[in-house]
Amino acid sequence: MDVKTNMDQIFQKLGDLKSFFIFGQNLMPTLQKILDFIKDTIPLLETVNRSISESTSKLPKAAIQIDSVTNATEVATTEILDVVDDVTNDLNTIQSKLNFLKEKLFCQKISLEKLAAKYPNDPDVKELMKNGINPEMINEDFVSVIILASKIQEGMMNITLSLQVQDITSQQLSSVNHLVQSIQKKMASLLIDLGHQEVQTFDYQFPKELTFNAGARYEKNNNSQELADTLVLENHSKKSQKEIDELFANK
Amino acid sequence: MALKFLVVDDSVTMRRIVLNSLKAIGHNDIVEAIDGRDALVKLTSDDTINFVITDWNMPEVSGLELVKSIRSNLKISAIPILMVTTRGSKEDIVEALQSKVNNYVVKPFTPQILREKIEQVISSSTA
Repeated sequence: MDVKTNMDQIFQKLGDLKSFFIFGQNLMPTLQKILDFIKDTIPLLETVNRSISESTSKLPKAAIQIDSVTNATEVATTEILDVVDDVTNDLNTIQSKLNFLKEKLFCQKISLEKLAAKYPNDPDVKELMKNGINPEMINEDFVSVIILASKIQEGMMNITLSLQVQDITSQQLSSVNHLVQSIQKKMASLLIDLGHQEVQTFDYQFPKELTFNAGARYEKNNNSQELADTLVLENHSKKSQKEIDELFANK
Repeated sequence: MALKFLVVDDSVTMRRIVLNSLKAIGHNDIVEAIDGRDALVKLTSDDTINFVITDWNMPEVSGLELVKSIRSNLKISAIPILMVTTRGSKEDIVEALQSKVNNYVVKPFTPQILREKIEQVISSSTA
């Protein structure tokens, strides 16, 4: 009885084994397909790997280029500011010389009038009076030139103010550089995980501390300034109330 | 009151622009500092400086740290401070005011705004 039972169990096991082999035979083509797929993807993965490695090695160059853009714009802005300063100084000189000239002409007119009163019949004096420049006649021209100079000065000031864009964009670029640095670190770490022994180090030295406001914007609307004004006012009111309260508390 | 300004900004461009703006509104007595640390050295060595205009984002010692250092140093704690910065969010402005800046200017600014804020600071300091 026991022998029969054991034999039944063996046959059952053999049956299971046969089923397994049949299943294995059916599975073989699928496994083969999976293996073929893996074989095909290996070069693709290597390409991705190489691409990550290349991209990572290019990031320092990108960071250097961004930094050099910032430096170049700063130099250019300084040069523009130099020119603006020169033009502004020249305009100041023109304005003061024009005013000096106007004053001198008025003095000359008074002297000529005195001369004409002293020698009313002298032909030379008469000619001088006739041909001499009358400052009142050219006053309009003087005023218009001075107004023009003021307008140019105002334009120079507007250029100066627009150049604040350099500081704002340099903060935005610093923010991008910071991002590049972070990406490079992540990619380098990924490459090490993928088994790269020699990851090109990020040899570009960033400034010790990148200081920037990532949210810096060149906007000429006064929204932020209005918000600041409101908050400053509120703060002053609070302070004043606090002072009044303290004063009463002391009494 | 004769004003002697200390302009603190790590950007050469911005220092120059603030300087030109101050000159345009008639203030010519100006000292420059490249960051908060440089500013503290200048403030403690020159007691004629009586107005500070500072940026926020600077290396070494930031504008906010400079404000806190000034306010905690009895010798210079009363100096009026105007913050001129690109930071225009409510949180930033409140933080600066809590650190006791006297007034706040958001870049880009005009000389008129600068003049207005300087006058406001002076009038509230003398009141």
